Amino acid sequence: MHTLVLLLYAAAAVAYAVTFTRRDPRAGKLATALLAAAAVAHTFLIGMARMQAGYMPFVGTTAAVSFFVWLLALAYLYTELTAAERAMGVFITPLLVLLQVIPTIDATAPSARPEVLQSPLFTLHVSAVLFAYASFALACMIGVTYVLLFKEIKAKHLGFFYARLPSLQVLDTMNMRAVTVGWAFLTTGVVIGAAWALTADFRASTDPRAQAMTVMDPKILVALVSWALYSFQLFARRAMRWGARRAAWLSAIGFAVVLMNFLPIGYFLTKSHNF
Amino acid sequence: MHLLLLGVSHRTAPVELREQVDFARRGVPAALDALAERATLTETVVLSTCNRAEVYAASADPVAAAAELSRFMAAFHGVPGQTLERYVFRLVDHEAAGHLFRVAAGLDSLVVGEPQILGQVKDAYATAAERKRTGPLLNRLFHASFTVGKRVRTQTGLGEGAVSVSYAAVSLAKKIFGDLSGLNVLILGAGEMAKLTAVHLKAQEVRRISVASRTLRSAERLAEEIGGEALEWQHVDTALARSEIVITATGATDPVLTRARVEQAMRKRRDRPLFLIDIALPRDVAPDAGDIEQVFLYNIDDLRTIVNENLARRAAELERAEAIVRHEVAQFDQWLRSRGAVPTVVALRRRFEDIRQAELQRLEGKLSGLPPEAKARVDEITHLIVEKLLLTPTEQLKSVSDEAAAVAYADALNRLFGLTATDAAREPAAEDEDQRASSKPGALS
Repeated sequence: MHTLVLLLYAAAAVAYAVTFTRRDPRAGKLATALLAAAAVAHTFLIGMARMQAGYMPFVGTTAAVSFFVWLLALAYLYTELTAAERAMGVFITPLLVLLQVIPTIDATAPSARPEVLQSPLFTLHVSAVLFAYASFALACMIGVTYVLLFKEIKAKHLGFFYARLPSLQVLDTMNMRAVTVGWAFLTTGVVIGAAWALTADFRASTDPRAQAMTVMDPKILVALVSWALYSFQLFARRAMRWGARRAAWLSAIGFAVVLMNFLPIGYFLTKSHNF
Repeated sequence: MHLLLLGVSHRTAPVELREQVDFARRGVPAALDALAERATLTETVVLSTCNRAEVYAASADPVAAAAELSRFMAAFHGVPGQTLERYVFRLVDHEAAGHLFRVAAGLDSLVVGEPQILGQVKDAYATAAERKRTGPLLNRLFHASFTVGKRVRTQTGLGEGAVSVSYAAVSLAKKIFGDLSGLNVLILGAGEMAKLTAVHLKAQEVRRISVASRTLRSAERLAEEIGGEALEWQHVDTALARSEIVITATGATDPVLTRARVEQAMRKRRDRPLFLIDIALPRDVAPDAGDIEQVFLYNIDDLRTIVNENLARRAAELERAEAIVRHEVAQFDQWLRSRGAVPTVVALRRRFEDIRQAELQRLEGKLSGLPPEAKARVDEITHLIVEKLLLTPTEQLKSVSDEAAAVAYADALNRLFGLTATDAAREPAAEDEDQRASSKPGALS
């Protein structure tokens, strides 16, 4: 089942690439259908895991990656439908495929939920943060395409991207929207996490990970750094003279930080979030 | 059944004659009604645009129909036949189909690849279909032409890229701002090019067009012409700060917009994008103003380069579009030819069925003793044998693509099986096209 989901994502990625280069609307419809099929299959996969475990299956980074891929696929499909714009698919789907490789290889049953995570706040915290990450991933891809198109127009060399991407204005609007949504969810996720870590039950836990739950833990520290970065982006755009191009760059950099926090730090460095 | 086309287009006739044969003067429906009275033309569609007046018709007798069409064209428009004769073109069957496909694809247009023509072809067809002037042949033909038009549009870059300087400026503006409605446009100078670009922008429903010139009089004149407002020259800086698109076309010898001046405006507008279109010679905007963040500066040479690139790209797409047309023509032609075999096929099948029925009738006495299921089996088996025997000949007949060969085949079959025209004519309510095809021999007998 994991392999099927991965294959569907891969097929969608290929179809989006064909759509982008050939600009064939039939390939575009196929690409959307394949991605929707992948998302449905993935929903099924997560639903099965949920039923097996009895709780939302995102204990551990691998399970969280799978959930993140699912959220990103849905978030992208939503923007594609609302913006009636398929050009971004070619940038998003390869990311989905790359990340989905991790849960496909590491397809062990979700790790048992340790006692410390047995709280309704667990689901809320993880969902909010992962949804924020999915929004930031979208913003990153939109930012990259903005910079590509900006360069072509500035250089007066109207070529490949000029013919395929929506206008700078649309990309800028989409970028800021994605960042705003992401920022709101990240704030919510962090606040819930902090509140949870401060509850008496949590502090009384003898779990070493609960002991390590401090601001100095790399996972928490970098999460706060990324929160500061996106806060700055929103602030600079409104209060300082920061144009759309710089905002686009910040979206790209912001997601690089997020991804670093999600994978290498999540797998190898953190002492507080290694479930 | 044959396809005929009689037409006049911008390629064959001067504008004076095209005006005389313009169907729009008396209306396409009137022309269709007049054509309906001519019995040799079983189906007709009239395509009328400012660059062409074409009549597509289906007829069993192409020679008589061609003459009929010429007479109609002269009579309907009141143009002497000899005059018309010098400018019309006539095409038959696959050549006529090829012409319509090229028209629908925009390949025969004055500006190759222009998109309006497909809509005009669709309208022409709809008007004729509404008045029940289309049948199997023209239905098939026009739907195929829609396919061609759509495929060329989506699968080639034929209609892409602006091919005029003013339109190139507009399409760039769209790529920067997306929707242009709600934007403010400032025009400095009152030249012809500025006016042309402003008219294109006006069509995009921009919010406001302001015109400033060295003399208020000329600014007022241009503003009035394009539906904008005139500005005093000293208000240019204020207008610059609130405008998204600025077109400069003054006769000044030194740059009117220096880098410092643009920078000052950008501060006021909080670095929202500014599109500067400098179509003046010598240039009105200092080139280094284009280095400012969120300022997009294009001068007349930049725009011309874009136009030339687009023209070259369109030319490169021509062959791909022609290939699509060729493919669809071949398909249509094959279908058209297979229709020629329909009467023979119908007659042949009728003959075999008659023999089967006659034999069953003859054996009725012997079969009557059998139980009903067994009788049904006999009927079924004999029917299957006939079907199997006819399968290959039917397919072969329909796939003959050479007209002479098709006639020879039909002739041979008629003789070998003693087919008569009445065999075909007796075919009961078959599908629409078969019936039409078979009614002809019946009428002759």
